[in-house]
Amino acid sequence: MSLTSSTLEHVEADLLTRVHADGGFSHHRAGSYRADATAWAIIALYSFDNDKKRLQLSIARLMADQRGDGSLGISTDHPEAFWPTSLAVLAGHLSTHDGQHQARAIQFLLSTTGRHWEKSSSDPMAHNPALKGWPWIAETHSWVEPTAISMTALRVAGYARHARIEEATRMLMDRQLPHGGWNCGNTIVFGQELRPAPESTGAALHALAGLIPRESVQNSLEYLSTVVTRLHTPIAVGWSLLALNSWGAAPSNLSSLVEDCLKRQERYGPYDTTSLCLLVLPLLRPNGLLGTSAGTV
Amino acid sequence: MRRITVALVPLENVNHGWSRRDFLKALAGGVIVASAYPVVRRLARPHLYAETFIAKVTDYQSEIGDVIVRGLRKLGVTPAEIKDKRILLKPNLDETNSGANHINTHPLVIRGAVEAFLRLGADTVMVAEGPGHRRDTLDVLEESGLADVLWEDRIKFYDLNYLTGYTVQNTGGMTRLSTLTFPGIFKEVDWIVSMAKMKTHHWAGVTLSMKNLFGVMPGIYYGWPKNVLHHAGIENSILDINATLKPHFAIVDGIVGMEGDGPIMGTPRNVGALVMGRNPTAVDATAARMMGIEPRKIKYLAQADDWLGPIEEAYIQQTGETVVSVRTNFALLEKIPAHRGIRLAS
Repeated sequence: MSLTSSTLEHVEADLLTRVHADGGFSHHRAGSYRADATAWAIIALYSFDNDKKRLQLSIARLMADQRGDGSLGISTDHPEAFWPTSLAVLAGHLSTHDGQHQARAIQFLLSTTGRHWEKSSSDPMAHNPALKGWPWIAETHSWVEPTAISMTALRVAGYARHARIEEATRMLMDRQLPHGGWNCGNTIVFGQELRPAPESTGAALHALAGLIPRESVQNSLEYLSTVVTRLHTPIAVGWSLLALNSWGAAPSNLSSLVEDCLKRQERYGPYDTTSLCLLVLPLLRPNGLLGTSAGTV
Repeated sequence: MRRITVALVPLENVNHGWSRRDFLKALAGGVIVASAYPVVRRLARPHLYAETFIAKVTDYQSEIGDVIVRGLRKLGVTPAEIKDKRILLKPNLDETNSGANHINTHPLVIRGAVEAFLRLGADTVMVAEGPGHRRDTLDVLEESGLADVLWEDRIKFYDLNYLTGYTVQNTGGMTRLSTLTFPGIFKEVDWIVSMAKMKTHHWAGVTLSMKNLFGVMPGIYYGWPKNVLHHAGIENSILDINATLKPHFAIVDGIVGMEGDGPIMGTPRNVGALVMGRNPTAVDATAARMMGIEPRKIKYLAQADDWLGPIEEAYIQQTGETVVSVRTNFALLEKIPAHRGIRLAS
């Protein structure tokens, strides 16, 4: 079964019901402006080849709340929650926007690390806390998904060989679970290996495509290829398929996985903007957000 | 109307480890330091009293709605109090392990609570959660089996991780966080019910109805995991959230709990009981005793004592089953510092 073009048109139309007059998007239909929703909507609509002029308005709205340090918070009253900054960089570059705002957002990412410390022998957690990636929130530790999305954004923006990408690659590999996959960022705690999560695994594998040899993530690819067949929900399906696309390992029933997930809106109601965008992006960007299939190095 | 009553107790009768003379000397000398603050707080407050209700429930196929209605009535929750209210149930949904029923609040306990509140006349009962480890909350719903129950019963679910929030003063004052941001849906409900799983916890000792409220803090402001709270201090964050949010009721699913390396990697432990009450601190102290754990050895419970609620048995009126009749010692692991020395004496 393949996803019909009318289904995709319906998704695009749905997304456009969430845009405000100023170009910003809401998290839900008829909701208030959200930076994360706006960034994901720009990425998806650009991939739909939507009206570029309209998307420039959306980028302008996104960047309107940029702070002096280049960051973008989830809202103006929560600047410490700066994780949408990497999404803004991704949205800006995928839609060929360039300029001062973009440069400042990139500079913010390159200069921001969160909290890190040297590992002590008594630490019950196995990962190396000194390796720097990116946190969700200021003054907290680096976690898998914000690191993966920041890496993706910086790679798209042309910083693939930057020292921060090299260290973040080491950080992600350090957080890979011994039996494969990633979760939010803890590997072994008090001697027990924790479980992987598909969306974390997908985001990490997507960010690492082309940077590391396939054999070093083979267990993770196998985990994701297996687990994706039982997934029915948009964030997990979206990141899993983006990752498998990037590694040239997309399942043959990719379209039906997306279709099934879209149908689940009968059960859950309309998906939020981020979820809807993530779900259709594997169809719109068959080589992932990085633009090239990097299954081999 | 809340039935938690307050009684003044002579200062000399309070076993706090300091004599009154010591206290006054210290006060006069201005040597009260931050570490003594909980002691001072206890001295400054009268004892609180609360009621909890324990019910034996052998398995998840039991008539759990009936049990919860019985508990609500025993605890003085009347139809008049619940009539036309909007009730938000906050279960504990962590990451899932297919087929495991010891990680999350069981879907049939949640169904039972929905039934119970509707039978007492609630206008709406909804379920809301913001898992700490998973970004895809819907996948947790599916894997836990809760999605099917919500769908079959047409119960609305809110993903608290992504809801735009509102910010209030942190009235607990235990962490450096001056404000706390809660999901906007909380402004639209009348009652918040914490529906925890009975589990050991490798950082906090136990996770019950108070710790369960970590899940109300939106991931978009606090991260995945809720790392802002970890850096602010887990125990103190538990206290701040509870002091500021003031949940109205607590139900702990101890039909099957988790012992050992909780809250995720532990093993199932059958207790065959639910515990509930209006005061989460008292409920958690009672649940801890059911697990064979001394509540006073759990740092956040000791600090909550006589501030957010009572933890001493003498100040908790026990209805339904006795603690002794359902006590099931949960396995504690020596390698986990938070588990050391917390076993309740026989």
